[in-house]
Amino acid sequence: MDPSDDPFETLHARGVTDGLPVVPPTRERVAAMVAAAGRPAEALVALVPPNFGRATVGKIAINAVMAGCLPAYLPVVIAGVEAMCDDAFDLQGVSATTNSAAPLFIVNGPVRKRLDLNAGAGVFGPGHRANATIGRALRLIVRNLGGAAAGGITMSTFAHPGYFTYCIAENEEESPWPPLSVEQGFPPGESTVSAFAGAAPQTVYDHLSRSGEDLLVTIARSLAVISHHKSTHHGDTLLVVSPEHARLLAGDGWDRARVRASLWERLRKPVRELVPGVDGGEGLPAHVLAKFPDPRTDATLIAKFREPENLKLVVAGGTAGRFTAIVAGWTFPKMSRMVTRRIDLD
Amino acid sequence: MSDEFLDPTDSVAVPRRVAARPSSLDGRVITLLDISKAKGDHLLDRVEELLRERHHPKAIIRVKKPTFARPAPEDLRARILRETEVLVEGLAD
Repeated sequence: MDPSDDPFETLHARGVTDGLPVVPPTRERVAAMVAAAGRPAEALVALVPPNFGRATVGKIAINAVMAGCLPAYLPVVIAGVEAMCDDAFDLQGVSATTNSAAPLFIVNGPVRKRLDLNAGAGVFGPGHRANATIGRALRLIVRNLGGAAAGGITMSTFAHPGYFTYCIAENEEESPWPPLSVEQGFPPGESTVSAFAGAAPQTVYDHLSRSGEDLLVTIARSLAVISHHKSTHHGDTLLVVSPEHARLLAGDGWDRARVRASLWERLRKPVRELVPGVDGGEGLPAHVLAKFPDPRTDATLIAKFREPENLKLVVAGGTAGRFTAIVAGWTFPKMSRMVTRRIDLD
Repeated sequence: MSDEFLDPTDSVAVPRRVAARPSSLDGRVITLLDISKAKGDHLLDRVEELLRERHHPKAIIRVKKPTFARPAPEDLRARILRETEVLVEGLAD
């Protein structure tokens, strides 16, 4: 077969894919997708940094078709575009950094069941069309409308597998706590999508703790080394707590706010342990160090995270297994914040 | 894109081109933009020294972005456009 006759080869040659085959965006498929939005194709949803391409309903629909979305998924993709293009998310920086942060999308509310979004076993993994293709559509939009192609604008040294697709749902049914969406200020029962700029998930294993207190020590000691063992002043970071860990914590009276406050407090270190060149070359930046006349003996505590609120918690994953996944955020304090948007299902 | 498949990019967006390079730096106003990366100022200090040694610019202006993580504020961009003929942006780490 002549490669120029093959739609997969044709689209790949145009530089609009993620390297995997895409569904050819024919007029018929795109029209069906646009119809699911209940809005005209020309309606502008957002400008996608860093190139500020116009994410109209029509352009979003084309990318959603290519990713393999069903038309019913489109409202989630549109809300995801709104969330990641909010100024607080700083998609410009997320797309350009040498670090490894990709937008992770977390879905809450009744839409999870309606679209069969996976919140349970293998939540970060393959096999669920809604998670796989909604996340992929948003990545294609970052590339095709934001201009963030690897090695060009995207200078990430490593990137990670979530740069292909990164979409989970909260396991609200197995969670002892109110959903993330409620924490983010939305009413219970509302469907939302939250965008969070995250590294690849790192699994923390604790099968032996039998008290919330003990488990929090394990989680805190594991969180202490994200970025490096002396990094401080972090912004938002996500903990994906398995149902078993969440039940252990809640059973001992730990709600989200207490978990956050406790972790934040445990994750402080004295200045003397954060001096660059002692126990590793990294350490406090010069302008912070300058505040302490004798840093090598100073016991002032400096926090790993700027505020307890920077520690975001979501319950997801299978019902068997005592694990918590750390999804480190983009490392700097005034950079990307988690942004949540309502999904317009009407 | 052919008629067969719709275009997933914003094809109406204006393609960006690299500005024409001046043949000489003599008599030019040069801006050195520090993007607030660690030690970017060290790099630009040296660039300024070399520019003064090797060329005869009309002026060298030093400006700084508040953070490297976000685009330069509009007023800073406007100032650079208004005052500058040559811009050097310093990325360090």
